[in-house]
Order: sequence, then C-alpha cells, then structure tokens
Amino acid sequence: MIVPLEHILLLDGLLFFLGMGGLLAWRANLIMMLVCIEVMLNAVMLAFVGGSARWGSADGQLFAIFIMALTSAEVSLALAMVVYLHRRRKTVDTDQFSEMKG
Amino acid sequence: MKLYLAFILLLPLMGGIFNALLGRTLPRRVGEVVACGVIWSAFACAVLAFAGFNGPVRVEFGSWLAAFEFQAPIALYLDQLSLSLTLMITFVCGLIHLYSVGYMQDDPAHARYFALLNIFVFAMLVLVLAENLPLLYLGWEGVGFCSYALIGFWYTEEQNATAGRKAFITTRIGDTAFGIAIVWMYQLSGSVSITHLNTMGTLIPAAVVTTLGLLLLAGASGKSAQLPLSVWLPDAMAGPTPVSAQIHAATMVTAGVYLLARMFPLIGGSGTVRAAIALTGGITAFYAATCACCQRDLKRILAYSTISQIGYMVLGVGAGALTGAAFHLLTHAFFKALLFLGAGCAITALHHRQDIFRMGGLRAKLPAVYWPFLAGALCLAGFPLTGGFFSKDAILAGVAAQGGPLYGGLLLLGLITAFLTSFYTFRMVFVVFHGEQKNPLPPGGGGLGRGGSDNSAANILHPPPHPLPSREGEHLELPKIMTLALVPLALLGLCGGMLNLPSYLGHQGILDGFLGSIPGFGGGEKASQGGEIVLQIVAAILSLTGLGLAWFRYTGSRRAEALAREEAGLPGAGFLLNGWRLDNLYGALIINPFKYVARFFWKQGDEAGIDGALDGLARFIARLGGLPAGWCTGRVATSLFGLAGGVCVVLAYLVWVTLP
Repeated sequence: MIVPLEHILLLDGLLFFLGMGGLLAWRANLIMMLVCIEVMLNAVMLAFVGGSARWGSADGQLFAIFIMALTSAEVSLALAMVVYLHRRRKTVDTDQFSEMKG
Repeated sequence: MKLYLAFILLLPLMGGIFNALLGRTLPRRVGEVVACGVIWSAFACAVLAFAGFNGPVRVEFGSWLAAFEFQAPIALYLDQLSLSLTLMITFVCGLIHLYSVGYMQDDPAHARYFALLNIFVFAMLVLVLAENLPLLYLGWEGVGFCSYALIGFWYTEEQNATAGRKAFITTRIGDTAFGIAIVWMYQLSGSVSITHLNTMGTLIPAAVVTTLGLLLLAGASGKSAQLPLSVWLPDAMAGPTPVSAQIHAATMVTAGVYLLARMFPLIGGSGTVRAAIALTGGITAFYAATCACCQRDLKRILAYSTISQIGYMVLGVGAGALTGAAFHLLTHAFFKALLFLGAGCAITALHHRQDIFRMGGLRAKLPAVYWPFLAGALCLAGFPLTGGFFSKDAILAGVAAQGGPLYGGLLLLGLITAFLTSFYTFRMVFVVFHGEQKNPLPPGGGGLGRGGSDNSAANILHPPPHPLPSREGEHLELPKIMTLALVPLALLGLCGGMLNLPSYLGHQGILDGFLGSIPGFGGGEKASQGGEIVLQIVAAILSLTGLGLAWFRYTGSRRAEALAREEAGLPGAGFLLNGWRLDNLYGALIINPFKYVARFFWKQGDEAGIDGALDGLARFIARLGGLPAGWCTGRVATSLFGLAGGVCVVLAYLVWVTLP
C-alpha cells in the first residue's frame, strides 16, 4: 500500500465538500449542478476504491463500476430533462422553479 | 275505600292526559265535558269516601321508590284533614272548571288549558293524600309546575312568561329547603312515612327538630307566599283568572299551611319553631294587608289579600290552633275562589280592564256578579256571622289563648290586619261596583298604568292577548255558566261558619269534633268562652269600622275626590303599591350581586380566562407550525441547504463522539 487510507479519505472529503459547495453555490445553472453531483459521486467512488485496496477486497471496486454505470444513466436522463426544461421555460436557473411548493 | 281513592286520583290524571293527547283533535265541547266530568266524578268519589269514612286509613297501591332500606311506596293516607281538603279541592276545582268553560270560550288553546288544570288537580290531590314525604313532594312539585305553566299561559307576552319564571324560581328556593328536610328526616329516622315521623318527635334532639321545623317553614313560605318569599304571588296574577282562583287562591298556596299542619306533631314540639311560624304568619298577614290597601289592579288586591289570609292560617298553625287554621283554609278557599271568579266576571265584562279606577257602577250593570262578590267580600272582611268571621276568630282566639308578649303582639297585629282587611276589601267593592264609571277606556289606549308617582308598568298586569270584542257599547254580557258558578261558592262562604260554630253556643263545632282526633289538632290551649266572645265583638267592631271607613271614603260625594287623590299618588303609596319594595330589595341584595358575579365569571372567567388561554395556545401552536412551513418553498435550493445542514450536523456529531 503506497498511499495510506487517511490520505485517500482526506482527498475524498475534500472532493465531496467541493462538490457540495459547488452544488449550493451554482444554483443558477442546472448543468453545473449536475457536474458538481458528478464530483461528489466520484468522491464516493474513490472512497470505495480506497477501502477496497486497503482491505484487499474486490467489493469496493465492483461498487465503483456500479456507480459509473449509474451515473452515466443518470446524466443521460438528466441532460435530456434539462434540454426539455430549457425548451419550455427558457431557463435553467433552479431558483425559478417553485411549483413543488406545498 | 281503596277504589275510591284510586278513582279520586286517577280520574283527574286521565282527564289531563286525554286532553293533552286528544284535546286538539276533538271538538272543543268534548274536551270541556271530559275536563269537568273527571273533576266532578272525583268529587263524587270523595263524597262516597266521606260517607264510608270511619277512621284514618292507609292504602298502599304498590312500590314506587325502593332502594336498599329506603322505601317510598305509592301509599295514601286518608284522615279527617286530608278528607276534608279533598272534598274542598274537588268541589272548588269542579266549579272553577265549569267557570273556565265560559271564561276560556274564545281561547284557542283550550286543550292545553284544561289538560294543565286537570293535572294540577291530580298533583294537588297527591299532595294532600300522600302518606310519605317523597310522594307529597311529587305532588308539591307537580302543582308548582302546573302553576308555572298556567301563570305563563299566555306566554307570547313576555311579561307573563317572566311572571311564571319568577313564581317557579321563588318557590324553588323553599322547595330546596323542604327537600333537605326530607332527606334529613330520613337520615334521622330511617323512614319517610308521615305518620311514622310524627311519632318521632320525642326521639329527635330538640335542636334538630328546630332546624327541621325552620326548613319546613321555609318550604311552606315558598309555596304559600309568606315573607320573605311572598314576591311571586302578586305577579302570578298574569295567568287566566280561573287559574288565579284555583291555584293561587283556593288550593295550591294553602299547601304550605297543610304541610305545617301535617308535620305539626313533629315540629310543634319546638317552641322556637312555633314562634317562628306564628311570627312569619302574623307579619305576612299585616304586610300583605297594608300592600292591598294601595293596589289599583283588581287581581293584585285579591292576590295580596290571599297572602294576608294565608298569613292568618300560618299564624294559626304557629299558635297551635290547627283546627282554626284548617277551618280558615276551607272558608278561605270558598270565598277567595268566589272573589276571584267574580273579579274574572267583571274583568271579562269590561274587556280585560283590571284597573279599579277605571271601573265603577257595576252594581247596576252586573247584578248577578255584584251580589255573590259582595258575599265574598263580607267573608273576606270578616263581617259578623259570615264564614270568614268565625274562621278568622278561631285563629285569633287560638293566638290569644297562647298568652305571652309575643303572641299578645301577634294578636294585636292580627286585629289591626282584620281592620285593614275590611277596609281594603270594601274599598275594592265600592270603587268597582258603586259610583259611576270614571273616564272609560280611551280609544286605542290601554287605559292602564297611568298616573301615580311610582306606577311603573310592572304594577299593572297587562291584559292577556285575548280577542277583544270590538263592540264598546255598555252591553255587559257574560256566559251564564260564569255567574252560576258563583252562587254555590257564595252560599258556602256565607254559611261556612256552620262548619265550626264557637263552642260557647253550646255545641262543639263540627270541625272541632271531626278533626280533633288527629294528632296535634286537639292540642292548643282553648280560650275561655268569655274571652272568645270579647274577641269576637272586638273583631266585629274592627270589621265594621273598616267597612264604615271605606263607605265614608269611596261612596257618595267624596268618592271622586278620594279617587283623584289616590290616582295622583298619596305619600307613601308607592311604597305599598310595590309591596314594600321587596322586589327592589331582593334586586339589590341578591339579584344584582348575582348578576354581577355571573357577569364577572362570564367576562373574566370564561371569556378572558378559559377561552383566552385556549385561543392563545392555539395561536402559539399555529405560529410554531408556521416556522417549518416556511421551509416548504418548493425550490431545489431549500432542500439542498437542508441536506447540507444535515450532513454538517451528522459530521459534527461523529466528530464529537469520536473525539477522546
């Protein structure tokens, strides 16, 4: 083991909170929010891979591949919806949408 | 005997139920015939019971209330007192029922009227015949209810309904005391049977007997309109006149006297109670007589005279002259029913005018009413040799025989009252029937409640919402049955003295002999014969003086002047007109503080306290609910921040947990 788990987890956390910060800050653009979600997901993937390496188990890597498949599906659907949304409302600013208000 | 008693009670009840259920669907005549028929049949049964009477009987019909050791069966007790009262009640009520047929001939609510009248007779008979106190109480409350419903018979006028409520509430005060006494007596002796309780007098501590006696006196005061609960009776005149005659003069209001006489063997053992009873009666008699002198509503004069006469009876009970009290009760029932029925005739003939100052000269127009009314007035005034003369003197003789400063004072008060009675009675007779009718009813105006310094509208009862005949000609016509009903009462009133002639005439009076065997009735010191003769002469002189004074004042040339002065309001007349302002006193002492307290609890306690606390709590919760409701913006951002906040909290928690 060249890189210690703590370092990986530190990087993980950094990535995750970077993604989260971006998510919160970039609400004006739905696409950028999707990008930030990717960053957060990647942080999680990294944690899985790191853990898998640390304990010598393949489960974590398996999960990472799952997440990859999942994100690709998610992104393709989400982008389609963004396009549809932009066509209808001429905006991708999430603060403009409040139809879900109870 | 059992059969007779059952019929005496059940016939009026059946008649009442019949009229209540079917009276409206059947022709009017049927309801009237049934109502009168049942009462006269009950009278016939009472006569048969009298014929077959040979000593007190107790008849039990079945169980009514029974729980553990408490037993109150439907048991009747027929002794000389209840028998004579039953005869009187059925007879007088029978006549009044007949009279009602004429009096109520234009009233659409005849079914309700006769049903209540019949049920009243039933309840009164239950009261008189009951062997145990709970059954007596049932009758007691029954007559109270019927009285309430009949005072407010023309309930569409708010004033009548208020009078009914006032009567109900005032008597309820006394009834509460009576109820407490019943429970206490049961607790003391384990029995509610009247005959049993009357033998317990010596076993119960004297102080308890005194308290019980005072409680019973309070109950009797409520029902019999004695001070301080007398205020309801003058207002009760709002009901139809036959009702006033039947309930508020002849029968129901004497229930208190009956109760005291019934329980006398128990409560009479206490000197304090006897003195309290006598004092109540004496003062009430005087009080009501003074009030009656200034009234100007015909029925209110009679109402106050009723209070006054019942005061005499209560005085008689207090003096131990029970036979005298019962004697006066009987003659009073005859002549007061007669006076009320006569007044009803006059009022009907004058199209429901009740102000005596607007009457006059009726002697020539209504001779069939004048002569019986005069007979009743002579009895009421205690004119020598009438029934009222002998019965009143029997009571006064009983008081005189007691001796002592208290009873001496009460005797004096009673004699003054006798004089006042004679005066106000003949004031009424002369003003109504003699002279000339003064300023007849102004067209369209009520003609009532005018003049007099303190003549608030409440002092003159409003005429009932009766279909007034439009003819205003002095064609005074009455249904024949109304005037015919007066004749037997007049004869009985005048000859009532035969029932119990004074013993100095050589024979024991009939009632003395008849009632003497009842426990308590034989007692009471007898006045010496010479003393009784002197007393009767004094009473006769006082009665004649009152008559003379009224004659001097209200006939001939001085009449107009006297009437004008009284109408302008004599000094102090307002005080008497309003019954010594007892209503105002109670208003200031009880009603207004009660209203104030009630308003305080309503405004401060209920609305501000309870409602306020609940409203405040509800507002607080609503505001609390508003806080998270603000987070439901429907925007993604809000959820995201929430998510981030949650993550931070979880992380912080983990850090806090893992830190050493």
